[in-house]
Amino acid sequence: MAGVKKSPTKNSLFKAVFQHSSEAIAILNHRDRIVEINATGCQLFAVPKKKLINKSISKFLVSSINWSSVPQSGKIQIKQPQQQIKTVEYKQISDLSPKFRLLVLKDITDDQLQTAAELELHHQRVELFAEVTLKIRQSLQLIEILQTAVTEVQRILQADRVLIYQVFNNGTGMPIEEAVLPDFKPILGVNFPEEVFPEDYRQLYTRGRVRAIADVRSPDADLAPCLIEFMDEWMVKAKLVVPILQNFKSPCRTQGEHLWGLLIAHQCQAPRQWTEFEQELMQQLADQIGIALSQAELLENLEELVSQRTAKLRQEIGERTKAEAALRHSEEQLRLIADGLPVLIAYVDRQQHYRFNNQAYQTWLGLSPQAINDCHLLKVHGTEEYQQIQSYIETALTGETVSYERELVLQDGCVHSLQVTYIPHIQAPKTIQGFFALTSDISDRKAIERMKDEFISVVSHELRTPLTSIHSSLKILATGKLGNFSSQGQRMLTIADEQTERLVHLVNNVLDLQRIQSGKITMNKQACRAEELFVEAVQAMQDLAQEQAIELMFEGNNFVVWADRDYIVQTLTNLVSNAIKFSPRNSQVILSAAIEHHQLQKSTNSYIIFAVRDCGQGIPQDRLETIFERFQQVDSSDSRKKEGTGLGLAICRQIIEGHGGQIWAESCLDKGSTFYFTLPKLIHGENQADE
Amino acid sequence: MSNKHILLIDDEETIQEVVQLGIAIEAGWEVEIASSGSQGIELAENQQPDVILLDVMMPEMDGIDTLSQLKNNDKTSAIPVIFLTAKAQAEEKNQFQSLGVVDVITKPFNSMTLASQIAKILEWKL
Repeated sequence: MAGVKKSPTKNSLFKAVFQHSSEAIAILNHRDRIVEINATGCQLFAVPKKKLINKSISKFLVSSINWSSVPQSGKIQIKQPQQQIKTVEYKQISDLSPKFRLLVLKDITDDQLQTAAELELHHQRVELFAEVTLKIRQSLQLIEILQTAVTEVQRILQADRVLIYQVFNNGTGMPIEEAVLPDFKPILGVNFPEEVFPEDYRQLYTRGRVRAIADVRSPDADLAPCLIEFMDEWMVKAKLVVPILQNFKSPCRTQGEHLWGLLIAHQCQAPRQWTEFEQELMQQLADQIGIALSQAELLENLEELVSQRTAKLRQEIGERTKAEAALRHSEEQLRLIADGLPVLIAYVDRQQHYRFNNQAYQTWLGLSPQAINDCHLLKVHGTEEYQQIQSYIETALTGETVSYERELVLQDGCVHSLQVTYIPHIQAPKTIQGFFALTSDISDRKAIERMKDEFISVVSHELRTPLTSIHSSLKILATGKLGNFSSQGQRMLTIADEQTERLVHLVNNVLDLQRIQSGKITMNKQACRAEELFVEAVQAMQDLAQEQAIELMFEGNNFVVWADRDYIVQTLTNLVSNAIKFSPRNSQVILSAAIEHHQLQKSTNSYIIFAVRDCGQGIPQDRLETIFERFQQVDSSDSRKKEGTGLGLAICRQIIEGHGGQIWAESCLDKGSTFYFTLPKLIHGENQADE
Repeated sequence: MSNKHILLIDDEETIQEVVQLGIAIEAGWEVEIASSGSQGIELAENQQPDVILLDVMMPEMDGIDTLSQLKNNDKTSAIPVIFLTAKAQAEEKNQFQSLGVVDVITKPFNSMTLASQIAKILEWKL
């Protein structure tokens, strides 16, 4: 039928699709030879169809492919006759027929080039950013950072003017750094009026707004007329503004960021479209400036802190140096004093090592302080001498002050008498750290004491010999064998006799006291029964008591004390003698002994308390202490009235204290006095005596 | 009262007199006087007194040396010696007794009771 088109077959339709497809399609046989290819395919290979048919496809590929072993889709590279390489995405369909394989190919060479270009651009941007960041970060000096920033931004963006605008706390601000081309006037230092940078702008920038204005006069820019006018003044046609936010990650601030300032680029010659890259670059640089500012601020704070600390350290070092100098001076002075004193001064620690010695150790003993410092006492003094002083050292190290005397041959070859005192160094709580040793030369004092003793000895002898003659002569006269005296003569003889007796007592007492005080006497202590002591004393005083019509009594006599019998009898005799002298006629003097754990005694040993009680006139309270001193009597006339020497109680005190006891008096005026003394009670086993 | 022969060796003349007189009055004893140690030794040898009263402090030969010679002399060693001294204190007394004296009488003494003291020391009956 003419004019009637025959309906296309399905096969012809598929062929048309195949031929006109925008994608290259090729059919390969089982040996990978091209059996059919469409027009797009021929274009892709840049080879006419007839040169492709029946050819192995591998011939046109950069590298041959075994299609059975590659994935169903992927990328291959086609080698065109002009040696151009095309990158192609393929998709193979092999399940249509066992003998044929359908390949759908798409040229992606241009896509790849674009991607590579984009990558390159990105790389360049990263490098540029890194370079600028490095330059900014190279300095920690604020001015340098800002200078670098504006210079680099101006260079990269090829902007006419780049400036850094600092926002002050009061809302105003001014450009503080600028890079501007010579053709345009600088804006540096110009105060921006508040209306060109109002509060709402600040809020927006604080939230991170970036303002890119291609044309300031364009209505799209939506700028206030005053701002446009201000822009005109500085010939600004386009501008890019990014905020510089400081401490935007600092934990010190709240979530709101602090708007430190703005990084602004101006284009003055003509309007300018700011690219995304330029905006991003500005933004990132502004962030870097923000970080650098924080670091600079931190550095500044750190430097200030370091400066303050250094100043403080200098002051401390100065003070310490001064204190050390003062201490050195003080030590030198102390050393000077210690070295200047005519005594041995040392400090010995708990381990008995010398820790300090003054110069006298050198001059007296020939021991250099440096040589004996840190040395043990045994090493310095030798075994023999150390054994002699060991007990004193041990006493001092128990916390007790101890004194002793010793004789030593010093550097001058002479024997010297030395007095040594160890004073323990006690630190709270009751820790003995060591002791101070003070040794003084008492040779002169000893010599004087010897002279005094000799003097007293000679004087006493010289007094006693004529006294013997006088005393005896008077006694002989008193017998009447050589003739009788008138009553007045007899009276004078009696006076002479009594006063001679008194003089004899005085001389005896002076000698007694001197000997007891000098420590020359040795107490011959033994167990003594109180009763026996009382009997002896009473017998010695019986005649005097009878003369005065005084009855002597004793009681509580069953105790044994540890004492020198003769000296205690002397004490009792003295006390009884006083009691008789001061008692009224026909009264009693009572001697007693009782056990007493006396609270005043330092030790817990028991003591026997002796008492001699009279019914005499009594002693005023204010004299109870002084009567035990030499030549002290209740009434100065007593010594004459009562024929006392004023030394009896002083001797008693010396004797009792020599026994480790105490003596005191209690009295009631017009009723009588009691004299007490204590003696250590015999401790069982101290000797063989029974209580 | 048996008659006793006393030898006093003392350089002090007043002591010599009061002792001689006092003992004579009190006990009626005869007192021979020597003014020095050497004279005393000679008299002791020749007269063999019952007791020697010997002063310690004398010029030239003192009492201790005199005592030593008396004790080392066969003729006088048995004669009891009593020291008369102004120095006698307890410890000196012990020291003297260790030298061989029977006792020590301390000055100042009463010559009127001296005979009693000597008799007590030597356990004589007056």
